[in-house]
Amino acid sequence: MSSIAASVQAGIRLSRFRLAEFGALLFFTLVMGLPIIFLLLSSLNVAPPGKEAAFGLANWSRAFSDPGTLSALWMSFLLSVTHLVPGMILSVMMAWLIARTDMPGRNLIEFLCWFGYFVPDFPLVLAWILLLDPSFGFLNTVAAALPFVQGPLFNPYSFWGIVWVHLATGGVWFKVMLLTPIFRRLGAALEEAGRVAGASSLTVLWRISLPALLPAILAVAALSFIRGLESFNTELLLGTPVGIYVYATRIYDYTRHDPPAFGEATALGSVFLLVLAVLAFFYQRRLKGKKFTVVTGQGYSTLRARLGKWKYVALGGCLLYFAVMMALPLSFLLLGSLMRRYGFFNLRSPFSLIHWQNLLTDPLFFLSLKNSLVIAAATALASVALYSTVGYLLASRKVRSAPVLELLCWLPWVVPGILMSLGLLWMFLATPLRSVLYGSVWGIALALTIKESPVGTQAFKAAFLQLGADLEEAARVSGASWRYTYRRILVPLVAPVAATVGLISFGSALTSISTPVLLYSARSRPLAILLMEYSFSGEVERAAALGLLITAIVSVMMLLGRKVVLPLISRDEG
Amino acid sequence: MKRKGNRLSRKEWLIRLWLKQAIGNREEATGNKRGNFLFSAYCLLPIAYCLLAVVTVRGQEKDWEQQWNQTLAGARKEGAVVVVGSPDPVMRNEIIPKFKARFGVPVEFLAGRSSEIVARIRTERAAGIYSVDVFLSGPDTTATVLYPEKMLDPLRPLLVLPEVLEASKWKKGKPWFVDPEEKFILRPFISVSSLLFINTDFVKPEEIRAAKDLLNPKWKGKISTEDPTTTGAGANLAARFHYQLGANFVKKLYIEQRPVSTRERRQFTDWLARGTQPICLNCREDDVRPLEKEGFKLVEIFELTDLAPGINGSPWLMSVANRAPHPNAARLFVNWMASREGIELYSRGYGSASLRTDVDESFLNPGNIPRAGVRYFDDTDWSWVVTGRQENRDKVWKLLKSR
Repeated sequence: MSSIAASVQAGIRLSRFRLAEFGALLFFTLVMGLPIIFLLLSSLNVAPPGKEAAFGLANWSRAFSDPGTLSALWMSFLLSVTHLVPGMILSVMMAWLIARTDMPGRNLIEFLCWFGYFVPDFPLVLAWILLLDPSFGFLNTVAAALPFVQGPLFNPYSFWGIVWVHLATGGVWFKVMLLTPIFRRLGAALEEAGRVAGASSLTVLWRISLPALLPAILAVAALSFIRGLESFNTELLLGTPVGIYVYATRIYDYTRHDPPAFGEATALGSVFLLVLAVLAFFYQRRLKGKKFTVVTGQGYSTLRARLGKWKYVALGGCLLYFAVMMALPLSFLLLGSLMRRYGFFNLRSPFSLIHWQNLLTDPLFFLSLKNSLVIAAATALASVALYSTVGYLLASRKVRSAPVLELLCWLPWVVPGILMSLGLLWMFLATPLRSVLYGSVWGIALALTIKESPVGTQAFKAAFLQLGADLEEAARVSGASWRYTYRRILVPLVAPVAATVGLISFGSALTSISTPVLLYSARSRPLAILLMEYSFSGEVERAAALGLLITAIVSVMMLLGRKVVLPLISRDEG
Repeated sequence: MKRKGNRLSRKEWLIRLWLKQAIGNREEATGNKRGNFLFSAYCLLPIAYCLLAVVTVRGQEKDWEQQWNQTLAGARKEGAVVVVGSPDPVMRNEIIPKFKARFGVPVEFLAGRSSEIVARIRTERAAGIYSVDVFLSGPDTTATVLYPEKMLDPLRPLLVLPEVLEASKWKKGKPWFVDPEEKFILRPFISVSSLLFINTDFVKPEEIRAAKDLLNPKWKGKISTEDPTTTGAGANLAARFHYQLGANFVKKLYIEQRPVSTRERRQFTDWLARGTQPICLNCREDDVRPLEKEGFKLVEIFELTDLAPGINGSPWLMSVANRAPHPNAARLFVNWMASREGIELYSRGYGSASLRTDVDESFLNPGNIPRAGVRYFDDTDWSWVVTGRQENRDKVWKLLKSR
């Protein structure tokens, strides 16, 4: 009798599970699949705007017959791989040092990574130009005073200059943010076993920790690779002067054509879908049939590796990296916001508070600030709620439609921002909810939540993959419902990841421009759009001030988040 | 203008007739009762005419005032006017607060690149949404999208303010509608556009007298331009060079001289000031002006001996969206924008010469003001924007891709 009851209960649980799977699939098909189908169909429509649709391949052939397209794709690939490899090595090392070792000041290093990620790109690239420009760059000027230096040492307008700036503007911070909570969840039992067997800390890292964290590391590498392919802001500022064009710049060019050529842009963007398919194939193949459970119900411990005297060397290395890659350009950025003209130290009285005054007295500023906070908070909460569920479904390995669901979750990053925004605009306007969604802060928050799906799902999936099934089983045997188990056991265990996803979503919602650009109205204008307006109209100093303010807001949120999350971590560790 | 012209000549004709009759008949009719009566009648005639004119003008005044008051009341009821345009500090810092303070109607400004604006409006309209009232857009967007895709309502009938309609207030004798039907798109600005800027610490003005001087090997790598391989000011200037000076010149300038290109306007303005690239083809007057004030020796060159000087309609052309959600607010806004106050704010903000006669021009660089008798190449000319520029731009792109 009891076995019948148990099987009925299991059946109900499974049907609930299927219901959740179906719900997730439906939601993602609607919000991610439909905009992309719309874009692909539009790219095949060759009729002039306003005329009856006529389908053909003219847009595609025009886009791909451009002689610059292939070379730009190759350049994107080269750049992306070149900064991915050192970026991944540095990030893994740093995440390991923060999460798995007794390095002093690790919380500070983690905080600095978060801080670095949310400093806006555009003024930071300008800061690097001020530092590295061959004719007036600060570092070149200093180097020129040395007796053995002839000519400029650094040049940001080059392939290696772009790689360098990528490593400095989020190339490492982003990966550390995602990897640290995953490293934290790694049970120490395996590592301890390795150490007992006489392996050094580095051998343990190489032979035990890294293979155990492979899904997370591969997911972060894939995310970073796609982001690298899509990146164009840095390349636009540093590559264009020396004729380095990347694939994303080509897409961008088509979108800002007069009149815009979204058909051609979509055709080029489809290459990212292909890249994604290839990456997904290799990812699945690499992980097939393997288990990555590191948190089980038995003797879970997160004891840290002891580095001995090397811990100070590690801390010194991290701090040096931050000093060069972040503090240096950041000090120029801060200085820039306080200068009458960014980077012109030779003016009469070059410093002024005028840009801060202008920012704070801008009639649009406070409304934009309020909108941004609402949008960012809603995005963070929605991302955590939605992607923790999806991550759980994907990690459970019981989902029949897992490959489709996973692909749908990747789509928002595969499609260039402005095209995704266009697709979402179309979708919002096509639904009965358009009066609620279009032009409102809620519509923007939904769009940004969708945009963050790759980070959210991959982070949660990796975290849930680390949890052993015995935890759930133990709860079930003790009579806990699935909801209770999820809330009281699983969610607290993935709390650090949830906090990371929440904060990344919050910060990205504050800084994202391409997603809200077609969806905002004058009443829902967020700060990022105001930042775009300042940059576009040449008000770089005011943009720098606003960029710093956004970073400060995110920093406050981070501190608050850490106040909540750190006790959870230390409780785990205890 | 025609109507006004006819009225003036009728007045002249009446005065002449009266003088002839009065003086001639007076001589003939001295001591003659009929003559005295006629004389008195002729004296009264102008008074009656003046009275009639006053009554008519009063009537017209009442008429426009009535329309204006109705528009104002309607606009306040509608609650806002939605304006779309490029990111614009003058709009943000001047227009929005001033318009709200004057009329109590908030301006909801949607800023974006023209491609973003176009994408948004097209998608909205396809879904049956009409959210925009007024466009302040560049010539390309206006002439190649808004007008041909029939997104506009006639603007001319919406103008009611006497200072906007009065012929004497416009340098062309009337508000200038540039579309083929002459009623949809108002062009309020006509500035002489700079051909290039130089930093005289590095380049003497006498070294660049003609366009061909730019081809001097001395300037190899010393010229900056907005990226001519994509839509924008860089490609537009290259198209103009192609049209006026030929493919060979474009090839030499944009390939052999190895100009340094960027898409970021701040970058080439800084290069100009620092002298890294002391010749700038696409720097903007409003970006360079603050640097001039700081003492940088930057000179704007408007004319070259082998190239006709150019004019443009920067910063925008004005049009009204059809099925505008706030028609009264839109009417209020376009009238105010076309008035002296609205135009002068933009004229000061962008250093652009306007087509109004009553806008103070003392703050402008005299070089920006078109001179009578000079034949200019109009970069905002309708047919140039719609066909000529695109054709030449395509040829330039083909040339540059072959490098």
